[in-house]
Amino acid sequence: MLVSVLNGFAIGFLLFILAVGLSLVFGMMDVLNLAHGALFLGGAYLGAVLGGSWGGFLGALGLAALGGLAGGVLLSLMTEPLRRRSHLDQALLTLGVALIAAELLIITFGDDPLSAAAPPGLDGSVTVLGAVYPTYRLLIIVIGAVLALAVYLVVDRTRVGALVRATVDDREMVSTLGIDNRLVKGAVFAVGSVLATVAGVLGGPIYGARPGLDATVLILALVVVVIGGLGSVRGALVGALVIGQIDTVGRVLLPDFASFVLFGALALVLVVRPQGLFGTRAVAR
Amino acid sequence: MEHPALTRRRLLALFGAAATLPVLSACGSSVGGGGSAPAAGGGGGTIKVGLVVPQSGVYASLGEDMTRGWELWLESNGGRFGDYTVETVAVDEGETPQTGVPAVQRVIQQDDVDVVVGLVNSATALGVKDLLTESRKLLVVTNAGAEGLTGAAATPYIWRTSFTNGQVAAAMGTHLAETGFAEGVFLIAPDYAAGTEVIENFRAAYTAGGGTIAGEAKPPFGTTSDYQPFLSTIQASGARATFCFFSGAEAITFVQQYAQFGLAQSIPLYGSGFLTEGSVLPQQGQAALGVQTTLHYTDQLDNPANTAFVEAYTAAYGESPSTFSVQTWDAANVLNRALATATALDGDSLAAALGGIGAVDDSPRGTWEFDGQTPRQNMYLRSVQDANGTLVNAVVEDLGPQSQPG
Repeated sequence: MLVSVLNGFAIGFLLFILAVGLSLVFGMMDVLNLAHGALFLGGAYLGAVLGGSWGGFLGALGLAALGGLAGGVLLSLMTEPLRRRSHLDQALLTLGVALIAAELLIITFGDDPLSAAAPPGLDGSVTVLGAVYPTYRLLIIVIGAVLALAVYLVVDRTRVGALVRATVDDREMVSTLGIDNRLVKGAVFAVGSVLATVAGVLGGPIYGARPGLDATVLILALVVVVIGGLGSVRGALVGALVIGQIDTVGRVLLPDFASFVLFGALALVLVVRPQGLFGTRAVAR
Repeated sequence: MEHPALTRRRLLALFGAAATLPVLSACGSSVGGGGSAPAAGGGGGTIKVGLVVPQSGVYASLGEDMTRGWELWLESNGGRFGDYTVETVAVDEGETPQTGVPAVQRVIQQDDVDVVVGLVNSATALGVKDLLTESRKLLVVTNAGAEGLTGAAATPYIWRTSFTNGQVAAAMGTHLAETGFAEGVFLIAPDYAAGTEVIENFRAAYTAGGGTIAGEAKPPFGTTSDYQPFLSTIQASGARATFCFFSGAEAITFVQQYAQFGLAQSIPLYGSGFLTEGSVLPQQGQAALGVQTTLHYTDQLDNPANTAFVEAYTAAYGESPSTFSVQTWDAANVLNRALATATALDGDSLAAALGGIGAVDDSPRGTWEFDGQTPRQNMYLRSVQDANGTLVNAVVEDLGPQSQPG
């Protein structure tokens, strides 16, 4: 049981790295980026193809970060003309981008599911809490915790972060202060996308890389965002850790309901607290 | 004409032919039956076959193996079934019945084929039952393993050269009950139709042999990427062994995580053969070593027909055949045998002729025969081993002939 809790943290931190960008972009600019899962899958493929050595693993991380940066800027530019249009138009645009990206990934990497090897030294298992546990997942917990702290400090304690939070709260007011909120949006979009592709590389040794994985992780990220609340780093972190625990401990405790525990929790949160655990406003507007 | 047996000479001739062949896999092209072989003689007509296998989606690699198996048989037999020149219409089955059923509809209604061959997806195969009955066309299923396709509720128009989900599982159930694992096997398979069929038929054979089930889990199908919660449950159950059914990406993750979480050393992993078949095995890597599965084929089988088959296949396509290649190779093989006696090309005549072909004695999988429109065939216990750097499913034991259970 304890090992399930530990594993819940590994999955939770991975989900946090994936979901925080989605949450900030959605909360700030009302852009629902359905291409977020495709960014993750792109990173996962890079990890699967290049991984296996430390050089390959770090190279994949670097390439994924560059790719994420480019993808984020591109997506930000593409959604800009739709700024005053409805959520549906933006969702349709990013859905189209997601479909095209998924197809390009299939053309590049093929239809077959690939597995990604963890870097040497981390591809084994160690005994933790009396159970055998993959070493690599311990690294994910460490990296996730460090990234969560870093993102939290930047958003909560710096001037840039204050700008981001202010834009989430009231972007019209921020623009009256002479700040171009398109730049803020572009920057957040870029950082969020980098985190998504990096999460893909980091998640590769756990999830592998296969067609369809983009949709699976996108849904997980959306669940995290809805549970945690929009535009909140703390919400994304708590949401991700809660989902991580539900997905592991919940399945151990309620094996017959393995298919339902995740969305059962989602439904519960939507009924009790529709704005999410840390959200300040309702999702539906 | 008699059915030409697969001889080594024929296959050697193929070596040269195959090297110059364009690979006719992608796109829904109409493929002629290869070179016209003068040896066939005696006029005869044309038989039009709709080859409906996946060319896109998650099963695309299975579809490619199947297309190759089909083409290899035709190339080594002059592109003819007896007196008939074979004309193949290849159409993409896709992933689901939403694409598969229209594809079958297309070849029957638009291309007006005489026989349909292929189908990976069981739901697609079940979905075209009425269509076949109405148009009285024969379907030879070359993968889909659903029990309901053949057996009691079957239509006379659906025949199968592959396997049934339960057949593969039942062989393992009997084997484990007999070999010291009677006190506790944990069952795990995804929560969908094929997973349930595998588990139920394993359970029936295993408990009939005196085995007791230690526990059971059904991970959500297609969305489970982390099996840790289920692996913890297996460890806590005190099981002596695990029996599982996974395929594709799930087979890769499950086998790898089973090793990563340390279960492989203490609780041996057994499964239906698709766990370690085809393109998933190299991806599983060292984690798959020692995993034991049952299936009706492995390219490691030691019989003359298989040796020749593997040799020709490898020469033509640069990789070893999979069970999917053999199943489709055998579809051509049995159609050829049936056409030796069939009076016409409609479904009823062909079904009657297929019922009379008796033992198929030149199949790479070993001799088999139709029993209720699906093969009664030998099941092999296979173990993943490292053969000079390549992972293979080595034969451990021949478990003898097995029919569709029930």
